[in-house]
Amino acid sequence: MKKQLSIFNKTVRLVLCLSVMVFAVSCEEAFEYELPEAGSIADLTPPVAAFAYIPDAVNYRTINFNNLSTESTNYAWDFGDANTSTEKDPSFTFVAGEGTYPVTLKALDANNASTAVTIDVVVQDVFVPLPVEILNGDFDGGSSDWKFSSFTGGNTNPFNSSSDGSFTNYDGSDNGAKTKGAKWTKSTSAGVYLSANTRYAYQAILVSPSIPNERTVRYILEYEYAIKTPAEQGGVAAGGNRIISEVLGAHFADGADAVASDPIAQFIASEVLGKTTHTNVQQEFIANGTGEMAIMFYAVTDVDVYIDNVKVYAAD
Amino acid sequence: MKHIKFLILAITGALFVSCDSDEFLNPLPDSAIVAETFYQSDADVLAGIIGIYDAIQGVNENTQGSSIRFNRGIQLEYLLTEHRSDNTRSKTLEGSRADFHRYIVEPENIQSEDYYQSMYEIIFRANSILSYSDNADESNVAAYRAEAKFLRAYAYFNLVRLYGPVPLVTSVVVADDKESLFTRNPLEEVYTQIVTDLQEGVSNLSNDGSKSRASRAAAQGLLAKVYLTQPTPNYDGARAMCEAIVGSGEFSLEPDFSNVFYNESNNEVIFSIEYIAGNPDESQGFSSEFTSYKRQGRQDGLNIVNPNLVVDFNMHGGNRTAASFAAFGTDVQLPIPENAEVIKFLPEGSDISDTNNPSYGSSPGTAGNDWIVLRYSDILLLHAEALMAGGDTTNNAAIDSYMAVRVRAGFDPVADRPSVLTKNVLLLERRVELAFENHRFFDLIRLGVANDVLDSHASAKGYTSYNVRRLLLPIPAREINLSDGLLTQNPQ
Repeated sequence: MKKQLSIFNKTVRLVLCLSVMVFAVSCEEAFEYELPEAGSIADLTPPVAAFAYIPDAVNYRTINFNNLSTESTNYAWDFGDANTSTEKDPSFTFVAGEGTYPVTLKALDANNASTAVTIDVVVQDVFVPLPVEILNGDFDGGSSDWKFSSFTGGNTNPFNSSSDGSFTNYDGSDNGAKTKGAKWTKSTSAGVYLSANTRYAYQAILVSPSIPNERTVRYILEYEYAIKTPAEQGGVAAGGNRIISEVLGAHFADGADAVASDPIAQFIASEVLGKTTHTNVQQEFIANGTGEMAIMFYAVTDVDVYIDNVKVYAAD
Repeated sequence: MKHIKFLILAITGALFVSCDSDEFLNPLPDSAIVAETFYQSDADVLAGIIGIYDAIQGVNENTQGSSIRFNRGIQLEYLLTEHRSDNTRSKTLEGSRADFHRYIVEPENIQSEDYYQSMYEIIFRANSILSYSDNADESNVAAYRAEAKFLRAYAYFNLVRLYGPVPLVTSVVVADDKESLFTRNPLEEVYTQIVTDLQEGVSNLSNDGSKSRASRAAAQGLLAKVYLTQPTPNYDGARAMCEAIVGSGEFSLEPDFSNVFYNESNNEVIFSIEYIAGNPDESQGFSSEFTSYKRQGRQDGLNIVNPNLVVDFNMHGGNRTAASFAAFGTDVQLPIPENAEVIKFLPEGSDISDTNNPSYGSSPGTAGNDWIVLRYSDILLLHAEALMAGGDTTNNAAIDSYMAVRVRAGFDPVADRPSVLTKNVLLLERRVELAFENHRFFDLIRLGVANDVLDSHASAKGYTSYNVRRLLLPIPAREINLSDGLLTQNPQ
């Protein structure tokens, strides 16, 4: 019995000890009678309103807003003319088109604290003309990409391939030596020497079309040319030794149709500086309504003439 | 006294469960732990500097498995960068690691929090060295200080690109100084500090030492990238830094692309974080996480290659494709594998020639593959980028640098040479050259196309949570809670 009592005593002491310990560390009663608001901390960080915007890729009048506000949960947008939104990231279409519109964003937090920011949103019809890549513009590939697919009464050879092109690479850097080019001679000339052997270099291009009364799209045809001096080779064709560059307002399958068409722009390159001195031409033209255009080169000459580095790009 | 054991038990128990309220409710912020009297000699300061690298290296998840903050260093960086670009994703959608590629990272995300505090651990250790560097040999002080500042700049550069304006702490601060620890400094101020720190590295470091330590070239390379990234880019400065590295003649492209990764500290590497295979304390866990078909890691597979990256590789990768990723199982038969795996960091002893039964050596979980922070091809492409100065260029020097990288990949120096180098072309080249090396996300941001590219990537993938705010990670909730309302959150 005594032994049992002693076991009981030990257990009781253990339980007592543990209870005291638990009471000592439990902290519940300390907070039992606190009011609900006590101990709460004031929100000292008010919302900060901020946003950015990106014009829609399809319709420039539609602006997609990006909310960059912090510490906020609710948003009130004002786009002017009583147009509002409570979305976080709204899109809004300014039907009036181009212009500057003050847009206000008010950012609120759950305590209704708020700040507002007004940013002038610029709606602008930014037009980016199509880039044009001239294939084999440096003539490194010989005559490929410059041929008509057929030529009634003529031949589709575009020019004489030549190793006497410009010293300049296609990227504008100095090659230190000649690059490949395109060449015309008396026997491949047009004009007074027109024959079945006359050669026309032709390439179809696709540009951004001009739209009447809305936009005029300007492009530049750029190339380098050289014409042999009388010291290098004698003879002058009637009207002068020259290269003619033309911009055509359509794509042509048959070279005869292209030659017969009225060019949109024509430039006559006639500086005679010698075989190794190239002159740079920048010929501006206005895109037509379809965007389907073509460039064509030919020559009227007694002496050898050369072109190289043909490029087409949008004018600024 | 015979009940003394109960008393002891009770008292000890009480000690255990009583909340030492000071410690528990006010844990010390990471950047404030005070170094006491450790730094007495040159060797001590050097040990401290090595300690900074240790913070970058981080603790292998396969050594310390707990998900609680463990200072993983840069071992989780691919989650915050590659996963948030269009390059890679997590195979599973479970767990916080799967939040990054879907742009649903919350302030409570444990991996983001770990990275944030890891970067501040680097900053704290660097600041600590800077306070005690005078105890080193006088001849070494300048180099030690430059090294610490280089590493501090590296950490801040990572932070500022991922989290935006962050608290700028440049000295050891006591924990109570919450004003210094938690006030976010404007972006410009953080960048100014990074540039100043790196310029000191350029002046006072040399190229003599190990590639896993700071060097002059590492400082130049990082500074070039900082110049191109900062709010107002300094293109001339970046170009000069890249040209200094090229001009030093100490670096070159490895002829074999695969050797860049499997021949450690090769001539192409400028700065890398070193790991040792099989060593629990010095190894890394990411190599094993990049496996999936026969998974070696703790997850179903991370950094799984997105099909649209495979498409770019097929067009522009050249001989890099076979060295960058691989498909396994039935995926092999697809023209564009769905779940290709990264193979730039295969653990030692791997053999993936049998695509149905790849093997990954004896200890894939404790891999030793170094993490390359800067390498020469990155510098060449940065050089081209600096010359482009935000636009397109026909500049030959820029195209030369670009072509050097392309030619190593097996492209023709003449036929494949572009006449104009455009931003998109450069970006594409960086994507395939530096895939899985945590560059893509930063490249998209730096070149100003992050929202365009990631918005369309997210809608193609059905990641509906994407919006432009997701380009910045949220400041970890733990930091905001510790700051008593001083630290503000990014727009959510």
